[in-house]
Amino acid sequence: MLTRRRRLFLLPALVVVGVAVVGLLSPGAVARTAASTGTGATNALDPPNPITYVKLPKSYIAPGEQLFLSNCSSCHGPDASGTDNGPDLVGVGPATVDFWVGTGRMPLGNPAAQPVQKTPRLSNKKILEIAAFVGSLAPTAPGYPDGIPQIDLKGASLSTGFSLFVLNCAACHTITGSGDALADGFSAPTLHKATAVQAVEALRTGPANMPHFGPGQLNDQQVADIVAYVTGPIQHPNNAGGLGLGGIGPVAEGFIGLFIGVGGLMLVAFWIGDRT
Amino acid sequence: MTATPVAYPVARFDDPHMLPLAKNPRRTERVVGILLLIGVAGFASYGGVYWVGGQPQLEGIFLGVGLFGFGFGLSAWGKYLLPQGPFVEDRHPFASSEEDIEAMTSAVVDRGTMVVRRRGFLGGLLAAGSGIMGIVLVFPLLRSLGPTPGKTLETTNWKAGSHLVDAQGNRIHRADLEVGGIATVFPEGYTADNFSAYDQTILIRPVKYPFVTKPGREDWTPDEYVAYSKVCTHAGCPVDLYQEQLYQLLCPCHQSLFDVLKGAQPVFGPAPRPLPQLPLKIDEAGYLVASAGYDQPIGPGFWERS
Repeated sequence: MLTRRRRLFLLPALVVVGVAVVGLLSPGAVARTAASTGTGATNALDPPNPITYVKLPKSYIAPGEQLFLSNCSSCHGPDASGTDNGPDLVGVGPATVDFWVGTGRMPLGNPAAQPVQKTPRLSNKKILEIAAFVGSLAPTAPGYPDGIPQIDLKGASLSTGFSLFVLNCAACHTITGSGDALADGFSAPTLHKATAVQAVEALRTGPANMPHFGPGQLNDQQVADIVAYVTGPIQHPNNAGGLGLGGIGPVAEGFIGLFIGVGGLMLVAFWIGDRT
Repeated sequence: MTATPVAYPVARFDDPHMLPLAKNPRRTERVVGILLLIGVAGFASYGGVYWVGGQPQLEGIFLGVGLFGFGFGLSAWGKYLLPQGPFVEDRHPFASSEEDIEAMTSAVVDRGTMVVRRRGFLGGLLAAGSGIMGIVLVFPLLRSLGPTPGKTLETTNWKAGSHLVDAQGNRIHRADLEVGGIATVFPEGYTADNFSAYDQTILIRPVKYPFVTKPGREDWTPDEYVAYSKVCTHAGCPVDLYQEQLYQLLCPCHQSLFDVLKGAQPVFGPAPRPLPQLPLKIDEAGYLVASAGYDQPIGPGFWERS
């Protein structure tokens, strides 16, 4: 049984804590930083291409074949030409393999499930060896990168990246890059965990249900602008109000507002109106 | 009508209802004092943080501490330290007496009848003015609701020979999109200042093999390029969530799903009609061109849509 004096303090303390939590959690404008000035493209007459595709050494192919046989061939077939459980990989190029295995989506336990991002099962070197082996099977198909991308974000423009992101990416990945559900049980993944290289690989190879953005549509500079925006403001949002609540929009914000905000007000009203 | 005088007893401090609720007012007073002090400290710190340059989260916390300290202090003051009551104030009867009501009614009726009969001309003018103004008030329906939609609901800026351009106005070449690629396109000349949301069209290159979206549209998809209006036929949202492996376009607003290889036939959701398809061809230089405009109104249905 609380003493009268303790009770005098209890409710106010509860409410102060509750409302302070609301204050800290209230999301700042995530997108407000979007239009902020970019680093600005250089004015050089012939700016160097921000993305280079590095070919993998031939020595990677032999160990890569062993790794492929033990990790991938049960679904993709020993010659990577695909089976009922996995697609044909001939001609998709090393960057495709690097994306799928490097983001932990492959190898996949259950071929029917949508691959989701997890910690890669293989080391980076082994991933590149598999990529080299798959890349060695056939000339890379047109529109797919022939090597592993290396990206230099120094000259990238955040403002251009923002407008390209809004036009091409935000429909599925949402304006905060948190990802969202699609049809038939599929979903667009969050962009908050992607590295710059993985973002380039995804744009250039169109993994799974993502459309394929070739150099005819977005040139390397535009890709670099988008990647700079994703690895910058998207992954490090400036939430002026405190936490961003995951950037998933009105559901989380409404829950906090109703549950903690209105709940706190009810506690206060109860305390003020209570005839002890 | 006279108000009934009510006798208010002189309040005395030892009356039970004049006593505060708190059993030990001194201690409660101290608590209230502490709360108000917290408030004062909060306000002062808020000002201090602002003075030395400002930091949004700190300012918010200190302002909150100040307001909460004062709020709870004042509430506790009122709740525990002021006389607890109850206080009763008798009120005099509201209703007028029967005679008063009677006299008032007859006065209004008699005098009103007399006034209107004697000033028939003025009454007529009053009626005429009200009648005319009543008609004038209907006038905005004739001209002030903005321009009529005219043909804009039926047609877009796409016509035979319109080049497909991206949002920056660059023409789309047959080699630009990869298989599995999409782009939002506009008719050339209608991007920057001439932009029209009705024109937005989604260009898709879904597969490697030739396909026919509907009988009669055999030559609408050169090089396996296909273009549909991006405006959903349900509520007009931009349909551009493309699922490349399923060849389906998803509308983000109400989850209508359209089959890209089968003429954007809706396969799920509330959309009542397929997205209109834009017939394409490729010109001598290899650029994509509309071989005609849309053959039907784009977007959601409206009153005269057949």
